[in-house]
Amino acid sequence: MQLETGQQAPPAGVARSTVQERPLADRRQVERWRQIIILVILTIGAITMIVPFEWMLATSLSRSANSAMPRIPTLWPADPSFFNYKISITSLPIATYYLNSLIVTSSATLGLLLFSSMAGYAFAKGRFPGKSALFVLLLTTLMIPFEMRMVPMYLEIRDMHLDDNLLALILPFVAGGFGTFLMRQYISSIPDDLIDAARMDGASEFTIYWAIILPLCGPVLAALTVISALWRWNDVLWPLLVINNNKLYTVTLGLAVEGRSQGTLTGIVLANTALAILPIVVLYVFLQRFIVRGIMMSGLKG
Amino acid sequence: MLRQLRKSLVWYLFLAPTFIVYTVFVAYPTVQTFRLSVFQEVATKQQFVGALQYWRLLTNEIFYTTLFNTLGLGIAFLVLVVPMSLILATLLNQLRFLPNLFKTIYFLPQITSTVAIALIFSYVFNPSWGLVNGTLHAIGISATPLWLAEPRVSLTGSRAMATIMAVWSALGYEMLIFLAGLQAVPIELHDAALVDGASPLQEWWHVTVPSLRPTIIFILLTGTIDAMSRFSDLWTLGGPNGSPARSLQTIVMYMYQTAFEGSDFNLASAIAVVMFVIVLVLTLVNFRLFLRRDFANAD
Repeated sequence: MQLETGQQAPPAGVARSTVQERPLADRRQVERWRQIIILVILTIGAITMIVPFEWMLATSLSRSANSAMPRIPTLWPADPSFFNYKISITSLPIATYYLNSLIVTSSATLGLLLFSSMAGYAFAKGRFPGKSALFVLLLTTLMIPFEMRMVPMYLEIRDMHLDDNLLALILPFVAGGFGTFLMRQYISSIPDDLIDAARMDGASEFTIYWAIILPLCGPVLAALTVISALWRWNDVLWPLLVINNNKLYTVTLGLAVEGRSQGTLTGIVLANTALAILPIVVLYVFLQRFIVRGIMMSGLKG
Repeated sequence: MLRQLRKSLVWYLFLAPTFIVYTVFVAYPTVQTFRLSVFQEVATKQQFVGALQYWRLLTNEIFYTTLFNTLGLGIAFLVLVVPMSLILATLLNQLRFLPNLFKTIYFLPQITSTVAIALIFSYVFNPSWGLVNGTLHAIGISATPLWLAEPRVSLTGSRAMATIMAVWSALGYEMLIFLAGLQAVPIELHDAALVDGASPLQEWWHVTVPSLRPTIIFILLTGTIDAMSRFSDLWTLGGPNGSPARSLQTIVMYMYQTAFEGSDFNLASAIAVVMFVIVLVLTLVNFRLFLRRDFANAD
């Protein structure tokens, strides 16, 4: 909608924007300045995001961090050494924690993907008595924060003798309202003719689900994977309730417990923290486009 | 009728795992929470006592402190994060140079878990040598704030620090949500306003922002629920007691303390019910405030 110089003036009835009247060269200049200002603002924000991590790394690589921190902070280790990391690796069973976190996160996420897509398919494309009532019932999960039911859940788990068991961290999250809702919204947009044609050819619902629906659900399954993985990996409260055996701690729980008990040993705690987050950050850097897209998609559907 | 049920059987099978988990881990515990809250434990047996637990809460000063903390921290967080992330998203949406790099950097804190961030920030805000106060020292200010050590309500106290931490870590996530919403705004709407003579700022405020209403509702809703259930970062900073002086203790932390340090599951359940009611009320308020206007406009 931009007028080039030399074109006729717009008819009298149309209001004129002052932007359209400037010559082309000027407009390009303005645009360039705008981009620079935007870039500067965003860069300042980006630096604020990174500096704490950089400082964490520098401090963790500094042996004197445990006894005396410099009054004026530096972004380079004051006393460079791998001392803190040596202590970390030998005293914190980080590998065990990683194993536990991996088991819990992958099992719960795989289960969630499978069961949510099944339920989502049923709600989107199935016909059966009680469908809307059941769906509304399921949606109530979204209204009930986990914390509200955590006390009876803990008692339940204890009565089922599942406490101090990784299953307690997996089972409650292997299916749920949010996942089902997301899947249903997505599957609803798959054209019915595809499914009807398969039905007429005699395919069972399960075959249709497995061979037609699932392959088409790539994007939403990816989004759900990201969300579920983040939730399970970073969950602290529930593992804190049900796991007492420190060999079964997840990475985040283990980090929290260690960090709280060793608060003044700044260098070591930060080294623990670095060990806990570095692999994730590396993974993130490789998968970031995938992850960012998943998050943005979840916001739209929500 | 029977044949219809048989045909529907396959759908019920599809739903079965989800509903089993729902019944065991959502429906039953929720009902139990309500039930436990009207009982009292007497010599390991549960005894019905009506509203006794709620009455205990009504006269419990600690409970009011935690309520104040929870709501206050939530409001402070939302008031800061919504405008900031909206502006950042708007800027990012117009950036032509490496937008993906910025998205990655801004979302980074979310990947690193609230525990890690809480630990890092407890040092960043250390009153003597932390990154923040240290920088103030570097520019010559020696009367530096106490941050975490300051339990009173203040712009530089423990709650302020907790809010800064929360905003810092959630900024990227909220920004991405807004970005998704912005990219879904039809460009004709935007262009039409510019043709009609609106300045870019006017266009943004009167056209783009209103079309983001569903996104804003989503963020306010999830932000409210997250604020009410805040636990892990504050627990890492100050323990279940919310030290210093319970300034950081939220409802959930108090619930945790009551149930697992005090072994009073009944009182804890009463707290849970109150929390649930508050969340429900806030959700309804959110809906009525924003959605109703949408429907009115649509007519």
